[in-house]
Amino acid sequence: MRMNKLLVLMMMLMLSVSVVACDRGDTPDVDTPPVGDEGAVDPDVDVDADADADADADADADADANTEPDEPTTDRTGAWIDELVVVEEPDADKAVTRLEAGDIDVYAFTISSPQTYAKILDTAGIDYKTSYGSYTELTFNPGQCADEGKINPFAVPRIREAMNWLVDREYIIAEIMGGLGTPRFVPINGASADRGALAAEIRAIEAKYGHDMERADEVVTEEMEALGAERVDGAWMYNGEPVEIIGIIRVEDERQQIGDYFANQLQQIGFTVRPDYKTSAEAAPIWQQSEPSECLFNYYTGGWVSTAINRDASTNFNFFYTPSGLPRPLWQAYTPTEEFAAVSQRLNDSDYSSLEERAELFAEALPMALEDSARVWLLDRSSVAPLRDDVSVSADLSGSIYGTTLWPYTLRTIGEEGGSLTWASASILTEPWNPIAGTNWIYDSTLYRATGNWPVMADPNTGLQWPQRVASVDVLAQEDLPVGKTLDWIGLDTAAEIVVPDDAWADWDAESQTFINASDFYTETATALMKVTTTYPDDLFDTVTWHDGSAFSAADMVMSLIMNFDVAKEASAVYDEAQVPALDSFMSTFKGFRITSQDPFTIEFYTDNWSLDAENAVTSLRAAWPQYGYGEAPWHTVAIGIGAETAGQAAFSADKATTLEIEQLNYIAGPTLEIMDNVLAESAAAGTVPYSPTLSAFIADGEAEARYTNLAAWNEEKGHFWVGSGPFFLEEAFPVEGNVVLNRNPNFPDASDKWARFSAPAIAVVEVDGPGRVTAGEEAVFDIDVSFDGDAYAMDDVQQVKYLVFDANGDMISSGEAEGVNDGAWQVTLDSDVTGQLEAGSNRLEVVVVSNLVALPSLGSMDFVTTP
Amino acid sequence: MAQDAATLKDGALIDIGAVETSAKKATRDAYLRLLRFTGLRLVALFFTVVIGVYLTILIANMGGYVDEIRRAQIREGVDLRMQADPSMQRLSAEERDKFIAGEVARGEKRVGLDQPFLIRSFTYLRNALTLNLGFAEQLTSDSGSKQVRNVITERLPSTLVLFGTSNLLLFFLAIFAALRLSRRYGSFWDKLVMALAPTSAAPGWFFGLFLILIFAGLLQWLPFGGMVESPPPKSTSAYALSVMKHMILPVMATLIGAIFLSIYNWRTFFLIFSSEDYVELAKAKGLPDSMIERRYVLRPTLPNIITSFALMIISLWTGAIILETVFNWPGLGQLYFRAIGLFDTPVIVAVTVVYAYLLGLTVFMLDFLYALVDPRVRVGKGGTGR
Repeated sequence: MRMNKLLVLMMMLMLSVSVVACDRGDTPDVDTPPVGDEGAVDPDVDVDADADADADADADADADANTEPDEPTTDRTGAWIDELVVVEEPDADKAVTRLEAGDIDVYAFTISSPQTYAKILDTAGIDYKTSYGSYTELTFNPGQCADEGKINPFAVPRIREAMNWLVDREYIIAEIMGGLGTPRFVPINGASADRGALAAEIRAIEAKYGHDMERADEVVTEEMEALGAERVDGAWMYNGEPVEIIGIIRVEDERQQIGDYFANQLQQIGFTVRPDYKTSAEAAPIWQQSEPSECLFNYYTGGWVSTAINRDASTNFNFFYTPSGLPRPLWQAYTPTEEFAAVSQRLNDSDYSSLEERAELFAEALPMALEDSARVWLLDRSSVAPLRDDVSVSADLSGSIYGTTLWPYTLRTIGEEGGSLTWASASILTEPWNPIAGTNWIYDSTLYRATGNWPVMADPNTGLQWPQRVASVDVLAQEDLPVGKTLDWIGLDTAAEIVVPDDAWADWDAESQTFINASDFYTETATALMKVTTTYPDDLFDTVTWHDGSAFSAADMVMSLIMNFDVAKEASAVYDEAQVPALDSFMSTFKGFRITSQDPFTIEFYTDNWSLDAENAVTSLRAAWPQYGYGEAPWHTVAIGIGAETAGQAAFSADKATTLEIEQLNYIAGPTLEIMDNVLAESAAAGTVPYSPTLSAFIADGEAEARYTNLAAWNEEKGHFWVGSGPFFLEEAFPVEGNVVLNRNPNFPDASDKWARFSAPAIAVVEVDGPGRVTAGEEAVFDIDVSFDGDAYAMDDVQQVKYLVFDANGDMISSGEAEGVNDGAWQVTLDSDVTGQLEAGSNRLEVVVVSNLVALPSLGSMDFVTTP
Repeated sequence: MAQDAATLKDGALIDIGAVETSAKKATRDAYLRLLRFTGLRLVALFFTVVIGVYLTILIANMGGYVDEIRRAQIREGVDLRMQADPSMQRLSAEERDKFIAGEVARGEKRVGLDQPFLIRSFTYLRNALTLNLGFAEQLTSDSGSKQVRNVITERLPSTLVLFGTSNLLLFFLAIFAALRLSRRYGSFWDKLVMALAPTSAAPGWFFGLFLILIFAGLLQWLPFGGMVESPPPKSTSAYALSVMKHMILPVMATLIGAIFLSIYNWRTFFLIFSSEDYVELAKAKGLPDSMIERRYVLRPTLPNIITSFALMIISLWTGAIILETVFNWPGLGQLYFRAIGLFDTPVIVAVTVVYAYLLGLTVFMLDFLYALVDPRVRVGKGGTGR
C-alpha cells in the first residue's frame, strides 16, 4: 500500500516535470544548437581592492593608458573567454554567498548596502569594483504656503543654506552608509572631469560649509524670527501652532535612514517634523507635481544616478536651481538671484569662448549655488560590484561593470585564456530586444553591447573616446569654440567658418526613399560649428564580418544613416510617432553628412552639437556605424523587422505596438520570431532590398540573397535573429529560465589584450611629507609622493597637482600648484608670505592630484604646527 | 390507453396513469428545482465575480490615484530622457518645454490617461469578464510578449510544476499521516507531531533560507535557486532531471513549513470522526484498520477533503511570492508582485478574474460533488441547497 502511494506520488512529480519540459520543447526559441548612486570614505581601501586583483590579472597592463597599446601579447583574438553564462540573481546578499561558493564568478550589479559591503569585505576569495555614479541630496520646497496660517521655512534661502551646516555628512557616511560614500557639497559629480579642475574652489566650499550645528541654529533663529515665528519651550511656533516640516522620505534604500537623520537634526533646532515614507512611485506626484504653495512637503530625499563619467557639468546649475530646468511646479518655484540665474544660463548655453572663461563662470556659480541651496548635496555614493578574486574585468568609474563597453574585451579568468564564466545580474531579458527601439534596461543593454562592435570606445576611467574600428578622426571646430583634446589619436583643427557642402545629405525623403542634398534643403549656404571626418581602415570590409557569416559592407553604414530619419517620417511605412522627438532633437543640431569615399570608407559629419572634448563628438563619431539606439545590426536583420512592421504584424517600438495592439518586435524570443521568419522567407524569395532607391547603390549583386540565406541558416541553428559583429555572439536565450549564453566570436579581428590597459583605474595614492613644525615667516617645503599600485605616477599622466593651505580655523589662506620634480615626486613650497599669515597652532596642507588617466581626483593632506 | 387503465388490487382502485404522471411531475419538479438552483447559484456567483473584479480594479488603481502616479512617472521619464540628451540642453527653454509637453501628452495617451478613470474602470471590467485579457501596460512576458495571456501562461507551467508537486505532496502526506495518527491517538508520533506543529508559524520561505545556506552554500549539494541549471540542458530528460534537482529545496521548504500543522489539523478533524459510535462498533466487529479508515472515517469526511483539495488546486494559480523570490523560481507569484508594484492593471485584473472564475466554478462544482458523495445533501424545495 505504501509503495503504491509512493509510486503515485512519484508519477505525479514526473508528470508535473514533464509539463515544463514539454512546454520548453514547444517554444521555438529555446531548443536550438550553436555557430561559428556614492566619497569613498576610504578611497585607499577601494583602490587597493581593485588594484590587487587587476595587478595580478594584468601583469603586463600598462598604467600609461594615454597611449596606444603595445604589441599584442597573445595570439588570441576577441574575448578572453569562450563562453559566458548569464543568470539572474536579484538578491545581492545571496549573490555574495554564491560567489563565495563558486556558483557565479561576477555579480554585475552595484551594491550600496553597508551590510552586504561588509559581507564582501569579510568573505575570502571575493574582490570588488568600485563606482561613483550615484549621489544623494535633499530637495527643498522653496515655495511660500498659500495657507497664510502656515510658513515654509525652506522658502527662505538662508535657512536652506543653513541646512548645509545642520547636516553632518561624515556622520551619514560613517554611520548610515557604512563607509560607502564621500561628502558632497556641490552640484558636480565626484567622478567627473570638472571635479578635478575645480578642486580648489570646491575644497574652499567644503571648508566653509562643514558641519556646524550652532551656526545652523543661529541662522535659522534669525530668519524664523524675521518670519514672525517664536520659539516656545524649544519648539518653533507660528500663529500658536508648531511649525511642522513634512519630509517625503524614500524607503527603497539608505535614504530612509538619511531622511530620519535629517528629521532628527531639524527637531533638535526646534522644528516639528512629520516624516512621510514613500516609494518612488508614491513620492513623485507629491514632490514633482504638486504646487509648492500647497506645502504638501518641505523636503524630499532625492537621489540621482549617472551611468557614465560626466565630462561637462556646465548644465547642472541651470537644471538643478532655475525654472529653466524643467517645466514642473517645483522647478517653477525656484527663485535664483538674478546674478546666479545669469551665470547658470551662460554655462548652460556654453556662452564662453575659452576654458578659462568657463572656469571663471564655474567659480562664480559654485558659491551662489550654496547660497541658494534649493538642494543640499549630501554625498557621492560608492557602490561595489563583487567578483571572484581570480577574475578580472574593466569597470566604469561611474557606471561600474555594466556601464562600460569594455567588459566583453577584458573579462577573463586571471592567467587563463578560454574557459567559461558565470555572470549574474539582478534581472535578465527584461524587455524585447530589437536594435531600433528595443530594451534600454541596463541588464539587457550590457549583454547586447557584447554582441556589437563600436567605432570608438569610452575610456572607463575618464569618459574620453578611444578608436576601436576607425582608422582616424579629424575634428574641425569653429574658431571661437573652446574645444580641446587630451589624447593624441584624434586630430583637431579650427576654422573661421565651416560650410556644409551642397552635396552633403541634410535630410531624408521617405516618399522617394532618397536623401535630400544640402543644396535642396537649405535656402542659403549652411554652416556648422563642427565637422568630423571619420576614416575607416582600408581592410574594414575584409576584417569585420557579421555573426551569421555575412560580409560587413557600406550598405550597413548607409542603412544606419537612413534609419536615423525614416522611422520618424510620416510618409514612411515604418513611421512611428514615438521616434519623432528623437529626430527633432537630432535635427536641431545636425547639418549634414557626406560619404567622400567608399574605399576606405570615409564620412564627413557636419553638426552644431559640439563638445569640450574633441574625442567626445560622440554622435558624429557613431553616426554611420550600424549601432542603432538599442544594439548593432546588419541591414538585412533590420530589413525583416521593417517587413514585419510594414505588414502591421509587429512594431519596433513599445509605443507603436501598444497603440496598434500588436506585439513589439523581439529578435531573440517570443511570438514575433515566427513573424520575422515568414518575412525572411518572403524577402529571400523576392531578393528584397529595403530603401532600394538609395541602398541598392551600396549592395553588390547577389549580396541580398546571400545575406538572407545566411540569416535563415543562423535562425535555424540558433533560434533567433540577433546578429552583430562584436566579440561575443548570442548563442541562446532562455527567457523563462532566465539564462543567456554568449559565446566568443572566433572571427573577431582584434587581439584579446587590446584593451587590457583599462583593467584597473589608475587612481593615484597621494602621500604628503614635510616638516611637522613650521616657523611663521619662514619658507617650508613639502614633498608629495604620487603613486599607483606601488609605482611612481608618470608626470605626463598628471594633469595638475594643486595644494591648499588651511589655518586653524579651517579658513583657506593660500592655494597654488605644486611643482613636478620627477615621476611620482612633486613639491610644494610655502613661501615666507604664506607661512607669515599662519597663526600659531595646528594648520593643514591639502593636496589634490588631478590625473589624465582617471576622472577621480586623489587627495592627500598633512597637519603641521606653526610656531611664532 | 394502457397508461390510463385502472386495476383493482386489494380492493383499491389505483390509477396507474395518475401514478406515472405524479412520478413524472416529481421528476420534473426535481429537475426544475435543480435548474432553478443552478441558475440562481450561477447568477449569484457571477455577481460575486463582478463585484470582486471591480473591487480589484478600484483597489489596484487606488480609486484612480494611480493615474497621478503614472502621470508623474511619465513626466519623470521624459525629464530624464531630456536631461540625458545633450542636443536638448542646447534648445531654448520654450523649445524644451514644448518638447516635454508633447512627449508627456503622447505618453499619457498611450496608456489611456486621456480618458477618465471611471470610464476606463468599466472598460477593464468588460474586458475582464469576457476574458479579453488584452495587452499589459508595463510588463512583458519573459519572451517579450505584451499579451497578458502570454505573460501569464509562460509562467504557469513552472508554477504548476513546483506548487503542484509540493502542495499535492503536502496534501496527501498530511491526510494519510493524520489518518494514521487519529487511530493512534496519544502515541509517540502523535505527540511528536503535536510538539512540532508550532514550527509552522514560520512560513516555508523562512526554512528555505536555511536550506539554501546548508545544502547550497555549505554542502554545495543542491543549487541556490532557479528552475534549471545554467545553461539549461538540451535533452528533455536531462532538463527534467535538472528541474527536479532544483525543486528539492523549495519543495522541502514548503513541506517543512506546513506539514506538521497540516497533519495536526487533519488529525484533530479525523479524531472527531474516529470516536463516533459507528467506528467503535466497526472496531468491535473486528474490521481491519484500513477498512475502518476508508469506510467509516474517510467517507463521512470526504466533502471536507474534496473542498480542501479543490481549493488547494485553484490556489496554485497564484503561486507564492516570497518563496519564489527566495528560490528565484520563475513563477506566477513573482509576476503578480511585479504587476502590483508597476500598477499593471490588465495583468492584475486578468489574474484576479481567472482566479475568480476558477473559484466560482469550483464552488459551483462542489455543490454537486457534495450531493454525489454525501447522501444527506439534497437540493431542497424552494431551490435552496442543504
